[in-house]
Amino acid sequence: MAALEIQNVSIAFGGVVALDRVDLAIAAGDIHGIIGPNGAGKTTLLNVITGITPPDSGDILLHGKSIVGLKANLIAASGIRRTFQTSLLCKGMTVLENVMAGLHVKLRAGVLAAAFGLPSVWRDEKDAADAARAALDYVGAGALAERDSGELSFGQQRIVEIARALVSEPRVLLLDEPAVGLSPDRVTQLDALLRRIRNERGVTIVMIEHVIRLVVDVCDRITVMSSGRPIAEGTADEVTRNAEVIEAYLGSALHAVDSHA
Amino acid sequence: MTASWRLMLGGFVLAALLPLTANRYTLFVGNAMLVQIVLAVGLNLLVGYAGLLAFVNGALFGIGAYAVAMLRETLHFPFWLALPCAGVVAMVIGVVVALPALRLYGLYLALASIAFAQFALWTFMHWDPVTGGPSGLKVAPVAFSPLPISSELGLYYLSLLVAVAICWLTHNLLRSRIGRALVAIRENETAAESMAIDLTRTKTLVYALAALYAGIAGGLFAPLLGLVVPESYDLFQVVFQFAMVVVGGLGSLLGAVLGAALMVWLQEGLRAFKDLQEIAFGGLILLTVLFLPGGVAGLLRTRLGWREKLHRPVRLR
Repeated sequence: MAALEIQNVSIAFGGVVALDRVDLAIAAGDIHGIIGPNGAGKTTLLNVITGITPPDSGDILLHGKSIVGLKANLIAASGIRRTFQTSLLCKGMTVLENVMAGLHVKLRAGVLAAAFGLPSVWRDEKDAADAARAALDYVGAGALAERDSGELSFGQQRIVEIARALVSEPRVLLLDEPAVGLSPDRVTQLDALLRRIRNERGVTIVMIEHVIRLVVDVCDRITVMSSGRPIAEGTADEVTRNAEVIEAYLGSALHAVDSHA
Repeated sequence: MTASWRLMLGGFVLAALLPLTANRYTLFVGNAMLVQIVLAVGLNLLVGYAGLLAFVNGALFGIGAYAVAMLRETLHFPFWLALPCAGVVAMVIGVVVALPALRLYGLYLALASIAFAQFALWTFMHWDPVTGGPSGLKVAPVAFSPLPISSELGLYYLSLLVAVAICWLTHNLLRSRIGRALVAIRENETAAESMAIDLTRTKTLVYALAALYAGIAGGLFAPLLGLVVPESYDLFQVVFQFAMVVVGGLGSLLGAVLGAALMVWLQEGLRAFKDLQEIAFGGLILLTVLFLPGGVAGLLRTRLGWREKLHRPVRLR
């Protein structure tokens, strides 16, 4: 069964159609890439899936259950976590605390229990700190745990954001341009990390990305979007040979990859 | 134990010893500091931690004070019962006001909350049969009769007890998922929601806590002054409260405590120049925002590395 099914989803902002009857199925356990030129509706699609901007029409199913209309926090609690195009780590918190914040709903402490510092709350806190450290180690950012999140480099922030999403053990992970601003070495590390997340943890990954090298290498399937619609879908080979795709978008990007190499 | 918490505890121990040497006036000033600490901790949760720029606490402070006065004078509640009731009354009103404001932030929240503050002030002024109008309500001294202490000393130690309790409870709360959720909301609401944090619940909670603390502070303030009058809860009180949390340090428990103590001390120093007070506190807010955005607590953080944690540090074995 598909982990995530987008059915006939449309949304318009003041007359501008951002998503136009989008149908998309993400198979469980896939790493699914979404590419397309700027303004194609890729980030809007993530915002619609995560409930930040509910769609005007259409349905979205997570493992067969509709999540359309649920508040964003409930969608996140049901197992979809995401990262953002511009890193949104919280300043004023350490890296460890940021990742612990990702465990908010797993920690169930009520106000009174937390205020009076009941032993059960502190036990949960200790477990949460351990889980957060484990998640940071998993993405290779364990050494950053005690740093203030404001001090991190852009690339470090991106990786920590993945740990924050991962710590809650999501079923689906949505990544919005995780490789932007990363050095080629870092992109290679990210490539390996995404494979491990999928293979070891069974997390379905949906990734918007402009770094075509990464998309072509790591994604099982790729959807190409243009003007709010998917115009092609298939394996990396299929998509990169599609004439319409090359026309719409890839020509220049593939060229960029060549000049990189 | 963190350095900031040690400093706070040290301050409270000194506060416990103050009555040994103090005259009536210093005891009054010390008591006012303790009352304002309770209020400032709540205000900093709302404004500093959750980042909600709401100007409701001046009015809620007044509501707590009026509630204690009315409950004691009209309904003859004993003080030990009137005080928590005042906190609950302020909390209920705070939440009722907060519900429509939950979707507001930034400028709109500021404007809506100023409107509430003015409305509350107008009510204090003009609802004569209940609030006593401009001349206000007299509040009798609190008798601690089975205990062999004076009314002033009793109120001082009660305020100290409440201030310590509020600080300890808040300290714990901040080092749980709730403290992290507040900061996450302040930094970016969309990101917070995407981490499964319920914005409505968390914001309602922080409005309720700030209102509860303000109500209790007002309830302690009424018998301290012996009089509840509208001008204690006007725009100057709002400016004064913001001076406490801004100068002390937004988003810092220690900052709220230090800011409250400093501002009460400064207000007493300026008592002879009543007209200067408003300019002084307004100017102080401005200068702090411009030149020391983290306030005193921010200075301690950057210079001495005094970081206040949002989780309970686990000892490494």
